[in-house]
Amino acid sequence: MPMTPQLSPVEEQERLLDEALSVVKIQALQMKRCLDRSKLMDGLKHASTMLGELRTSLLSPKSYYELYMAITDELRHLEFYLFDEFQKGRKVADLYELVQYAGNIVPRLYLLITVGLVYIKTNTCLKRNLLKDMVEMCRGVQHPLRGLFLRNYLLQCTRNVLPDVAEPGDESEGSVRDSIDFILMNFAEMNKLWVRMQHQGHSRDRERREREREELRILVGTNLVRLSQLETVNLDKYKKLVLPGILEQAVSCRDAIAQEYLMECIIQVFPDEFHLQTLHAFLKSCAELQLGVNVKNIIISLIDRLATFSQRADASVGTTGIPSDVRLFDVFSDQVSTIIQSRQDMPPEDIVALQVSLVNLAHKCYPDRVDYVDKVLLTTLQIFQKLNTDRIEYNSPVSRELTRLMKIPVDNYNSLLTILQLQHYGPLLDLFDYHGRKNLAAYLVNNALDNETQIPTQEQVDAVLTMLSSLIQDQLDQPPGEEDPEDFAEEQGLLGRFIHHLRSDIPDQQYLILSTARKHFGAGAKRRIKYTLPPIVFQAYQLAFKYRALRNEDEMWEKKCQKIFQFCHQTITALITAELAELPLRLFLQGAIAVGLMEFENYETVAYEFMSQAFSLYEDEISDSKAQLAAITLIAATFEQMSCFSEENHEPLRTQCALAASKLLKKPDQCRGVATCSHLFWSGKRASTGGKEMRDGKRVLECLKKGVRIGNQCMDPSVQVQLFVELLNHYIYFYEKDNEQVSVQVLNQLIGKIREELPNLEANEETEQINKHFTNTLEHLRNRLESPESEGLSYEGLIL
Amino acid sequence: MGKRNVIFYITMGKLYRVNVTLKKPGSKLEHQGIKIEFVGQIELYYDRGNHHEFTSLVKELARPGELIQNTLYAFEFLNVEKPFESYTGSNVRLRYFLRVTVVRRLSDVVKELDIVVHTLSCYPDMNNSIKMEVGIEDCLHIEFEYNKSKYHLKDVIVGKIYFLLVRIKIKNMEIAIIKRETTGSGPNTFTENETIAKYEIMDGAPVRGESIPIRVFLAGYDLTPSMRDINKKFSVRYYLNLVLMDEEDRRYFKQQEITLWRKGEKTRKNLQTSPSPQLLVTGGAESFIPAHNHSSDPQDPAGTIEDMKQDTNEEEHSSKMTVQTADAHGDACSTNLTADGMDE
Repeated sequence: MPMTPQLSPVEEQERLLDEALSVVKIQALQMKRCLDRSKLMDGLKHASTMLGELRTSLLSPKSYYELYMAITDELRHLEFYLFDEFQKGRKVADLYELVQYAGNIVPRLYLLITVGLVYIKTNTCLKRNLLKDMVEMCRGVQHPLRGLFLRNYLLQCTRNVLPDVAEPGDESEGSVRDSIDFILMNFAEMNKLWVRMQHQGHSRDRERREREREELRILVGTNLVRLSQLETVNLDKYKKLVLPGILEQAVSCRDAIAQEYLMECIIQVFPDEFHLQTLHAFLKSCAELQLGVNVKNIIISLIDRLATFSQRADASVGTTGIPSDVRLFDVFSDQVSTIIQSRQDMPPEDIVALQVSLVNLAHKCYPDRVDYVDKVLLTTLQIFQKLNTDRIEYNSPVSRELTRLMKIPVDNYNSLLTILQLQHYGPLLDLFDYHGRKNLAAYLVNNALDNETQIPTQEQVDAVLTMLSSLIQDQLDQPPGEEDPEDFAEEQGLLGRFIHHLRSDIPDQQYLILSTARKHFGAGAKRRIKYTLPPIVFQAYQLAFKYRALRNEDEMWEKKCQKIFQFCHQTITALITAELAELPLRLFLQGAIAVGLMEFENYETVAYEFMSQAFSLYEDEISDSKAQLAAITLIAATFEQMSCFSEENHEPLRTQCALAASKLLKKPDQCRGVATCSHLFWSGKRASTGGKEMRDGKRVLECLKKGVRIGNQCMDPSVQVQLFVELLNHYIYFYEKDNEQVSVQVLNQLIGKIREELPNLEANEETEQINKHFTNTLEHLRNRLESPESEGLSYEGLIL
Repeated sequence: MGKRNVIFYITMGKLYRVNVTLKKPGSKLEHQGIKIEFVGQIELYYDRGNHHEFTSLVKELARPGELIQNTLYAFEFLNVEKPFESYTGSNVRLRYFLRVTVVRRLSDVVKELDIVVHTLSCYPDMNNSIKMEVGIEDCLHIEFEYNKSKYHLKDVIVGKIYFLLVRIKIKNMEIAIIKRETTGSGPNTFTENETIAKYEIMDGAPVRGESIPIRVFLAGYDLTPSMRDINKKFSVRYYLNLVLMDEEDRRYFKQQEITLWRKGEKTRKNLQTSPSPQLLVTGGAESFIPAHNHSSDPQDPAGTIEDMKQDTNEEEHSSKMTVQTADAHGDACSTNLTADGMDE
């Protein structure tokens, strides 16, 4: 015996479908033959046999759909035939009754609908009653799949004949009211059948069943589409008949899949103008949906639609946007909180997501209502209080949602000042854990920097910095361990930039701002303050200049300046406490220059203090030789610039510089330091002489000679030559500045020495550079020789 | 041989006539008299040869003599009793006929002509709907309603089934029209059931709260009026059998007798020419109670719950079995039905 091969489910479906389709083909052919020969009754019999194929329980929804399509396609022949006959006046008596003798209900109802449609088309006064009759009779098919398709056929057939007039011209032809009743009833029945599918068969097939339901949902949804296509359904009818009907069914079916789909369907198929006027009803129903329904998505979908609508309406002239009587935000806000209350199991991230959509709504529809946004934040805060949440873990779903929520106002307002108006922003921010807070704080700072937002009052600065405290100060919940130093530097760098945005045009206010900022940033531990205090100091110096500029208007300016420099002094000292040296040194020097230009009472003393602070830092804190040279160079350069000191103060400072330079550890450093200090005796300025340069040529020469002496002591010939070249440049400088102590002879001596040593150097890159430096220097001198300036200065006797 | 000589024509015009025609005109036919009879009789098939005449009238058409030419005899039966309707069943026949007899010495020449008699009725005075709650405890509870208890032969049965409790997996539901012919009496009673029509009214499994419409057109079926104890010889009764089939092919059914009657032609004609088809909303409007008002009036005798029969056998009536005793009450079973038909 041949074995029958086991067919896979797919093949089995194909086989069953093929069999059914071949029956359909044969019966359809015979039906058409009979109709061609005007044998109506025989034709109907074949149609009925053909329709009998739709009684099957073996086909999957997909295959059943194919079968349905094939059969309804053939039924159209019957419909056309009957329509033709009726048009020609060859009306078959009692046809509507005749087809009802079919023993099986499925074929009977398909025939009933087909014939019913022909009746309606040829005799419109039957319309109202026939529609009611057909939709009522379809109740006989309670099998979900067969019932859904039967009712779909009803809906398809009647789509062009549904009455769509507000008031019936003829009672029996019906009005839109009848169409609404008709579709709503069909919809309710289809939905019930669709929901029932869920509860049939084994639980192990659940997934497959839900997939099949997804495939079939469009059949149910078509009812709503049909309702939306009725042109005479105005707002009033929608509000009183259509929507309540749909919602009643959606809520009462208690099936999550159906509810989610239907609510989405309502949003998508009906116009926004209707939604706006029926928000209460719609949202109230949302609160009554099953727990498994993702209400969040439904609400968000609606809000997004309305928000887009409002923007579209705003953009196009002539259309009305959201009517003033629709308090869109309040309605949503109230209903969303009802929904949240009624759904105890809603995950917090979904709750927050709803708030996100509310904020979006507020932004898109009411861009200037900051209070709306704040209200959402308050609600969110209260929700977390109710949930007893006091820490939101970084990167958890709820943290991601809440971050989204918090970023929206930042992105929309692009102003930190507006964020400050949101009273509940800060408290909400505090709910995040360390990482979350820091993340958002950095976001806020970046936004302010990008938009160049200035924070103009002390109170605002205080508030902002409190909000940003996770960046500014160590936090109680900060996890142990080091952060990535690069990230840290970058983040603190942001803050440094941000400090320049804490700015008021009113000097007194600016002072308050700076002291507030100082308070906040000062608590930032040493790893932070090196980034954050210097900008404050610089801001303070700038403020001092401002007061000076306003000295004619503000009689208190001197006192204020003094106070500012006190403030700076303290601030810089804080950096010293944090074991920093070079940075405070530079700040003191910068401060000294600033003070020197101020000319307020007592300013020399202050400047001296700043300089002496720099010196003591140099002496106590800087030990690296390179750093020492750099520091002394900087100190000397600063001092050379200043003209505020009397001889009494000037003398110890310049001597101290020269002394410090000569005490440097390495010979080359000594040499260079002394050479640098030589300038102090030439261009250094004293207040006692009215700011004139000292021009003490003798002391200059002493310094340079000392330099040459130290240079001679260097062991490395390469370094030695390099130092000589540098010294030569110093000599030339002073020679050209008319220092009479510097003679051509001295220059010749030095040049000779260099010439002597240079060829002995090893040929390498360094030598190359030294050589180049020397050659350039000689070139300069040669130029001077060849084209002597008209007045004075000549290089007579120079040997090149 | 003699019979062949005569042809009768009985003309049933306004004037009733018998035409006796000679086959060979010119020849003579001698007879002992010619008579016509009107007979109404019941024939029981098991009792052949023994006919029960309930009406017999005789009229003499000619006195004994000779027939020499074709002769036309007029006759008339006035105020004839025709108490019953003609009927041909499986075990019994009720017929009316005219019999012309030419009495002869050796063999009579006889001719019979059947007459069909319809008993026309008027619209019944009392025609309550049939409304009943039936069920099998904790299993199935339904309420059904037929709009009338008496239907004329071209009538439409309109009704509704309301499901109060469904805990079985129903596959479909149908209504059958059963004709029950009972003949004889005492130990010699014969009952013959015949299913005249089977009509599916529901496909698939309903849940609690569903109400399923019924509409059955009777005109298309071969029906007679109900007959009750006709001349103490036989009865013909009609039943509507509501049958529910579950997925294991068990059948649950409830039979309900209806009375069929024949309506006068004239009124029927009016009905037929009415322009709109028979619809639930129009035709069924008379005394149609919405099914969900099932909490029926206690005084309404139809409101009691009766048992349905469950039948596991294919043969519908061979092994009836009552599944549950009768004191179940609808409310007692109104526990959660949505669970029904769900996953096991």
